[in-house]
Amino acid sequence: MEREGGRKLKNVIEVKNLTKEYKTLKAVDDLSFEVYEGEILGLLGPNGSGKTTTINSILSLLKFSHGSIKIFGKEMRPNAYDIKRDIGVVFQDVAVFDELTVYDNIDYFCGLYIHEKSTRVKYIDDAIDLVGLNDFKKFYPKQLSGGLLRRLNIACGIAHKPKLIFLDEPTVAVDPQSRNNILDGIKKLRDGGATIVYTTHYMEEVEILCDRVIIIDKGKIIASGTTDELKELAKIEEKVSVEVMELDHKYIEELKALKNVDEVLYMNHILLVTYKKGKNNLVELMDYLKKESIKYNKIYSERPTLNDVFLELTGKELRD
Amino acid sequence: MIHNFKYALKTLFKNKMLIFWTFAFPIILGTFFKMAFSNIEKNEKLDIIDIAIVENENFNQNFAFKETFKVLSDKESEDRLFNTVYVTEKEAKNLLDEDKIIGYLILEDEPKVVVKTSGIDETILKYVTEEITQTEETMRNVAEYEFRQEIEKNPVEASNLNSIYASVYQKVIEMTKEGSTNIENISSANLSYTMIEYYTLIAMACLYGGILGMVSVNQNLANMSSNGKRVAVSPTSKGKLIFSSVLASYITQIIGVALLFLYTILILKVDYGENLLLIILLALVGCLAGLSLGIVIACVFKTNDNAKTGIVIAVTMVGCFLSGMMGITMKYIVDKNIPIINKLNPASMITDGFYSLYYYDTLDRYYFNIASLFIFSLVMIGISIFSLRRQQYDSI
Repeated sequence: MEREGGRKLKNVIEVKNLTKEYKTLKAVDDLSFEVYEGEILGLLGPNGSGKTTTINSILSLLKFSHGSIKIFGKEMRPNAYDIKRDIGVVFQDVAVFDELTVYDNIDYFCGLYIHEKSTRVKYIDDAIDLVGLNDFKKFYPKQLSGGLLRRLNIACGIAHKPKLIFLDEPTVAVDPQSRNNILDGIKKLRDGGATIVYTTHYMEEVEILCDRVIIIDKGKIIASGTTDELKELAKIEEKVSVEVMELDHKYIEELKALKNVDEVLYMNHILLVTYKKGKNNLVELMDYLKKESIKYNKIYSERPTLNDVFLELTGKELRD
Repeated sequence: MIHNFKYALKTLFKNKMLIFWTFAFPIILGTFFKMAFSNIEKNEKLDIIDIAIVENENFNQNFAFKETFKVLSDKESEDRLFNTVYVTEKEAKNLLDEDKIIGYLILEDEPKVVVKTSGIDETILKYVTEEITQTEETMRNVAEYEFRQEIEKNPVEASNLNSIYASVYQKVIEMTKEGSTNIENISSANLSYTMIEYYTLIAMACLYGGILGMVSVNQNLANMSSNGKRVAVSPTSKGKLIFSSVLASYITQIIGVALLFLYTILILKVDYGENLLLIILLALVGCLAGLSLGIVIACVFKTNDNAKTGIVIAVTMVGCFLSGMMGITMKYIVDKNIPIINKLNPASMITDGFYSLYYYDTLDRYYFNIASLFIFSLVMIGISIFSLRRQQYDSI
């Protein structure tokens, strides 16, 4: 892959034909992809699609059936400590010691990578700053809210300043404030030079964070590219939702005949009009509603989301 | 490794559940024993056990049995243990049927104790009989040895053998008297119900260290805990991490057992006698056995921490029960009917080691138990290492 300037990007991870089978089930099915230096790669897929299995295989925690994995150009093995030294992992489950304070937890996990105490002290302070836990250093995990606990989980995984970071659904079940804090922190890590693999089933996060996205379903890659490239795969370009208390069926047929309209649905007092192409679709729709004296409360327009792409490709919602 | 050791120690000491089971629970139980059994102890010494001895030719010719039971049944003695009647076998059976005695002794080819039920009195009769048998065996060996020595020193005619035998016999008589005194002490003073409970309590405290070992290992296994996954992706070898964690567990456990000793000695005024150092050595090896039991449970059972803690506690409690914690007769029943269980039961190895310090003049049986505990620990550690060699998992 090349950047816009023509400079070739360096592979940090190279996965070839990765397959992981559980008896009759293929959790990961012939997956091949690369992760480039300095990017945030999103692994997007519904629960059970194989995202975590892929990460665990890359980290040599899981035995896989076929394929090869290289990290920093070297083959990844369970005892490849030189590679592991530069990797940070934030697992989906919170992995901290209830008996240790916030500071001690970060110190313990950081100490598995950084032996020099003075360096470690500085790194711990940086990690605490990054996730915004300065006021909670002496707190025990049980005293923290779910969001703060997630932040601690991240701090424990990245305090040693790794070059490659795996974040496996780090924002599951967190409050909006903590989510924003976590997403800001991840951007800062990328800006600091880290390469990040980010798995989630929240498409909004992928759209905000990721330079590239790989969509996985049933262990297979079904699409990959930048978010804009993926949205090109959707057959619609615009969705307009209108809150209408009452609507005669004849209007639906008339709406379908308007320019660029792909589909018209009316359910639960919401009129949804999707357009194949679109400029000025919203204005034209508003004109139509005014002309027919149809009263509405709210109207808003959306670009297609990755969920629409996923729906298009698999026939189901991302969060199914 | 020091970093991990430091934090493993910190984590263990701050874990309230672990501290309760390894530090507080044995102390609470010890206090309970003191309150519950101190009266039994007093009463126990006053109880004289009614027994019968079948006065046959074998008995009349057996000096050791005859003299020992005479001493232990002496009405003038403060340490009198038995009220003995000397009868025929038929009379003994009748007395037992009428519950006038708890059992009777008959010397046939082997000494035989006949009882109707299993209880503390029956156990005392059995142990005293076993002790005399063993002492008699020792005497016979010594006599034989002394006799040969005499012959080698002074080769004599066959006609003079009788005079040599007479001198050896005198020496053996002296030993028998010492032996009788020894049995008297064991039976009346040291065979205390409360002491037996304290031994099993120490055995239990040693084995509860298994919880510490189990938790330490679980925290380092990717397929057992989230923390284990995080540790597994770090550039530190699993072997070093587990070794330092287990070492921290062992030290924590030793501190727990030391506290139990201090509490029982200083607060409960338990007298462990002159063998305290040997008792401590046995406790240290017992702790190792408990720890290794916990490690193997952590490695073999694929379930969560709480379930594994339950398994360790259950195994320990059953082990202690079979070794006599809830009644010394259980140990006797198991020894008699399914001896293999107590040979494999680490709680029994520990309690048997403690008993042997009092029941036997030599330390053979004590060291046998120490060796058994070492072998048990090595087997457990061997199984664990085999299981831990795996670096990747089929599923996590």
